[in-house]
Amino acid sequence: MTSSCTTISFTLNGRAVEALVRNDETLLELLRREFGLYGARESCGQGVCGTCTVEVGGMPVSSCIYWAVQLDGAEVTTIEALSRDGALDPVQQAFIDAGGFQCGFCTPGMIMMCRVLLRDNPEPSDDEIRRWLSGSICRCGAYPEIINAVHAAAATLRDKSDAGR
Amino acid sequence: MTEIGRSRPVLEARSKVDGTADYVINHFRHRMLHAAIVRSTEPHADLAGIDPDAARASPGVHSVLTGQDVAQVIKDPYYGPAFHDQPILALDKVRYVGEPVALVLAEERHVAAAAAALVDVSYRGLKPVFDEVAASGEDAPLVHESLRPGAAFADLRHLAGVRGTNVALHTRLKHGDPDPAWDGGGGQVFEHEYRTQQVAHVPLEPHSAIAEFVGPDRLEVESSTQSPSFVRLELARLLGWRENQVRVIVPYLGGGFGAKLYMKLEAIATAAALIAGRPVSVAITMDEQFFTISRHATTTRIRSRVDETGKFLARAVEVYWNGGAYADIGPRVTQKSGFIAAGPYRIGAVAVDSHAVYTNRTPAGAMRGFGIPQMVFAHESHADEIAVATGLDPIELRRRNLLAEGDLHATGTRLESAATMEVLELLAAKMRWAEEIDRGSGTVRHGRGVAIGLKAVVTPTTSAATVSLAGDGSVTVRQGTVDMGQGSSTVMAVIAGQALGVPPEQIAILPPDTDATPYDMGTLGSRSTFHMGNAVLAAALDLKRQLMVLAAEVAGCSPADVSCSDGRVAGLTFEEIMTATHGARAGTVVGYGSYTPRSVAPDPKTGQSPAITPFWMVGGSGAEISVDVQTGRITVDRIVCVADAGVALNPDAARRQISGGVVMQLGMTLSEEMRYEDGQLINPGLGLYKVPTALDMPRDIDVCLIQHPHPAGPHGAKGIGETGTFAVSPAVANALADATGVRIRSLPLTAEKVLRGVYLRNGRSLR
Amino acid sequence: MSISPSVVFPASETDVIFELRCEEDETVRPLAGGTGLALLARYGFLQPTRLVSLRNMREKLGQISIPQPGALRIGAMVTLTELARSPLVRAAADVLAGAAGLVANVRVRNVACLGGHLAHADPHMDLPPVLLALDARVEISGPCGVRWSSIDDLISGYYETTLGQQELITAVEVPVAPGRRAVYRRYASATADDWPSVTVTAAIEARDGRVAEPRITVGAVTTSPLRLRAAEALLDGVALADGNRLEAACKEAVDAAGETVRPGSDIHGSAAYKREMLRVHTARALASLFTRARSEDRR
Repeated sequence: MTSSCTTISFTLNGRAVEALVRNDETLLELLRREFGLYGARESCGQGVCGTCTVEVGGMPVSSCIYWAVQLDGAEVTTIEALSRDGALDPVQQAFIDAGGFQCGFCTPGMIMMCRVLLRDNPEPSDDEIRRWLSGSICRCGAYPEIINAVHAAAATLRDKSDAGR
Repeated sequence: MTEIGRSRPVLEARSKVDGTADYVINHFRHRMLHAAIVRSTEPHADLAGIDPDAARASPGVHSVLTGQDVAQVIKDPYYGPAFHDQPILALDKVRYVGEPVALVLAEERHVAAAAAALVDVSYRGLKPVFDEVAASGEDAPLVHESLRPGAAFADLRHLAGVRGTNVALHTRLKHGDPDPAWDGGGGQVFEHEYRTQQVAHVPLEPHSAIAEFVGPDRLEVESSTQSPSFVRLELARLLGWRENQVRVIVPYLGGGFGAKLYMKLEAIATAAALIAGRPVSVAITMDEQFFTISRHATTTRIRSRVDETGKFLARAVEVYWNGGAYADIGPRVTQKSGFIAAGPYRIGAVAVDSHAVYTNRTPAGAMRGFGIPQMVFAHESHADEIAVATGLDPIELRRRNLLAEGDLHATGTRLESAATMEVLELLAAKMRWAEEIDRGSGTVRHGRGVAIGLKAVVTPTTSAATVSLAGDGSVTVRQGTVDMGQGSSTVMAVIAGQALGVPPEQIAILPPDTDATPYDMGTLGSRSTFHMGNAVLAAALDLKRQLMVLAAEVAGCSPADVSCSDGRVAGLTFEEIMTATHGARAGTVVGYGSYTPRSVAPDPKTGQSPAITPFWMVGGSGAEISVDVQTGRITVDRIVCVADAGVALNPDAARRQISGGVVMQLGMTLSEEMRYEDGQLINPGLGLYKVPTALDMPRDIDVCLIQHPHPAGPHGAKGIGETGTFAVSPAVANALADATGVRIRSLPLTAEKVLRGVYLRNGRSLR
Repeated sequence: MSISPSVVFPASETDVIFELRCEEDETVRPLAGGTGLALLARYGFLQPTRLVSLRNMREKLGQISIPQPGALRIGAMVTLTELARSPLVRAAADVLAGAAGLVANVRVRNVACLGGHLAHADPHMDLPPVLLALDARVEISGPCGVRWSSIDDLISGYYETTLGQQELITAVEVPVAPGRRAVYRRYASATADDWPSVTVTAAIEARDGRVAEPRITVGAVTTSPLRLRAAEALLDGVALADGNRLEAACKEAVDAAGETVRPGSDIHGSAAYKREMLRVHTARALASLFTRARSEDRR
């Protein structure tokens, strides 16, 4: 008895959810089709541009080549989790202040990547930022502003954690 | 406190960082079918047959449509902004690999995509032609049997029915001495040929469109288009309908760069919706964009007579534009870029022959720069080659020849409000040109180069807008400029806000919707700030005048005595005026503005006109590079870009447009190329077509805006969206020659080409 | 992705091997990270009818350990990110950690596993030539038990391996040689994130002040990773302190590399250019290897 669909249970932006997925469906298709989360988008379709970036288990992945059927028990976080209570995440605010986007299509993916970077490396250098983002494409060419946004966000997060002491 | 010239975040910033920004791919209509395009696998062939049976039988497939099906419902199913030469689905023959041949409709997108692979198409191969020069020759295989210019263009009418050629259009420019005597005479003659490659725009959001017939005589189309008004009028024309029966709606675009202009997927979606009787969504993949539209490859032959002081005496330029299988806006690119092909220089005798040529490649159309980057690559590489040969410093050579404010350009139009000299001098200063540099002698060499380019904004074009007031005094701007990240909505809000004394953040800018937003020629060619800005300004001032009349009535005085300040008229708020006028919180007051700048069409034989453009754009670039002479790889360390910006209404946004254009152009200079083998495009998609990443960006991009108010621009503003693209490629090519002595006359400047050049200079060759 | 396959989630190695059985009209594949498989399916190269998910094997096959002194064992389901960051790998075979951190991009590395990386057999992949240079052996489980394979026996051609239908890569073991030094050089001719046009891995040990166990492997220019034995032989036994002799030997090795390898032309460059890049990067790899004092060259 073979089935081409599977029911999966996982955590999405902190909520327990269940979904019936086609076995060849990608995480990206699932997020958009089933959950109406449009922050992650399909662009290159090959995992190289980063427009579809979401976190699985706290790690950024290319959701357009991630098999949804393997998500059972996983923790998925998308851009929509960042501003749920109305306030913007410091990285999001930094992107606004620095003008780190133009058309905005790559922006959620960029922001997700930058948050992970700052989590692991609170004071990255220009080179470290460029290397980390070398797989996240911005055709509008907003790279200089994105780098500025990361530095600004790093400073904000540092101030916040200093203030918290 | 003025709103003008204050840098501010764009109005929609929040939606772009929180993922809620709206794009067409998010949209859904009840009972919508998904379409997948079956594409030609032959570059040039007669269509022998299409067998849809296997696809039709697939579970979940609604139907399979061919060109014949379309021709049943659309009488003359050919579209295009200049030539009506592009069939909605191929009829009789195919003219490039990737041409849409059939359409599969299904309830789900993945089902349509899978079934598309089952449609069996057979072809009878014809001899193809891929090179623009070869295609313009007498014995070249013919891509089209005859030319089909659209009726709307007076200057193309003479081409109707012309047979036996792949040259869709040949435009000419002749200025000054008609017979400049190339043989004999003083000075030297320099002649070079430059080639640029076919490249793809690669907006990260691939094209998509949804069409729905809402009722028997109304069509609604949602599209990722930069030109909603054009789409409306072209769909109406195809259907034989009135424009007021067609509605085109545009949310945000995930990038455009010219790829999303004129007709792209809207006709296919419309034809399918008409046949199926249900809404149809056509959304292509990134890979498919490479089979949809591209930037012209070019061959440019440029010949100059130069006297012993380095002065350009005469110049003849011959350009061949590789337009691919369908004309799209290629003829206009050919004409408009042909006009500036001789460069921003004072030259006594100029002749330009510019040819739009059909080939069997992906169609080429408008891309950021509209042909200017290719022309500037040619004339600025040529300038440096002349400098090297004559021993003149490259800046000095340009200084001696550059057109200055007030000079007559080769089109016969005076250069007005064009800061050519200032751009050149600031470029030289920013490049520290007077200082010597160490070019190195080991594995890594260093060099620098400069270039300067000029563009005339396309004309004549029209933009119209309304600015209206609701009962509570809130302001809404209705305009058709599409915001694809350039910040146009914010600029319009700034202009309207400044005129009315209202904070821009409180002004609603509606997304383009041809049912609500007035006509706009298109968001292209850096025209929107100037044209739509002027329209919005006029509309806001019209609204203000009406408010003054209403306020005068309320206040019991004459409109001439009414004063306006801080969002109050005769001391009253807008809300107070509305309530007093209507007796309740009610009513709408609408201000209207339309802007069509004056221009004079160029003479068809000479290309001369006293008013060829309402504004000029000037952009200069400098590049500092390092070259690894063992691998040939170029690293661009620093780019300077100096832009003649008029007045920057939002300076940070203006700077971002410049640097964004620079980054894009660097890709086209060093790594991007659509590569063909036996007519097959071998590198569609981002895995093999490499665009610049953060790691490829120069460490330093230095953007300088020169601001002199343009007399006709809104608050002195003019366009700059393309200025960053003009001069990057030749600046890098010139820097390469400076660093290594290697002159490469074709783009992209790949590592292999550089290495072969280095070896050649050392008397070696790559085996 | 076209027709939806069925998916099973076996809980033991035996079950995995059983589930990998395949009738004539079926296409059955193991699913680990799935990044390579997703691309093959999307582009129509593969239409799996059944996928055997290795999720439940993550614990057993996802370990990095030193099972006995001198051996580094990396489970097939270790992700490339884990490989790049592992302190054990950094200590035992730093060149492998470094190369793992360069594959594709970080999002792919977070999901893609070593086993899949090897089974995919894409000639532009970074790790097979590095593993070849380290004399790695691949542990393969099948219906008849466990067998071992060298890298060049495993990868037989363009996207081709010698794995049987019901065989599964379970681990890679790398001999640890305390005195071994190795470098990995990767050259991409277009943008920074491009697949490489040529990779060179060079490794040596030192014995009595002389070069021992030289290894030079290349990737991306041939359809499977290649050891340049002729070039290696020219370095073998050369005294490390004899700068002139060493330089001459390196030159000869570079020439041998250029003679031995016949690259094909493709989008990354013509055959002639690739051969020259092979020479240049072999020279640079060897120079880097033999000069402690010099810092890592730019890409």
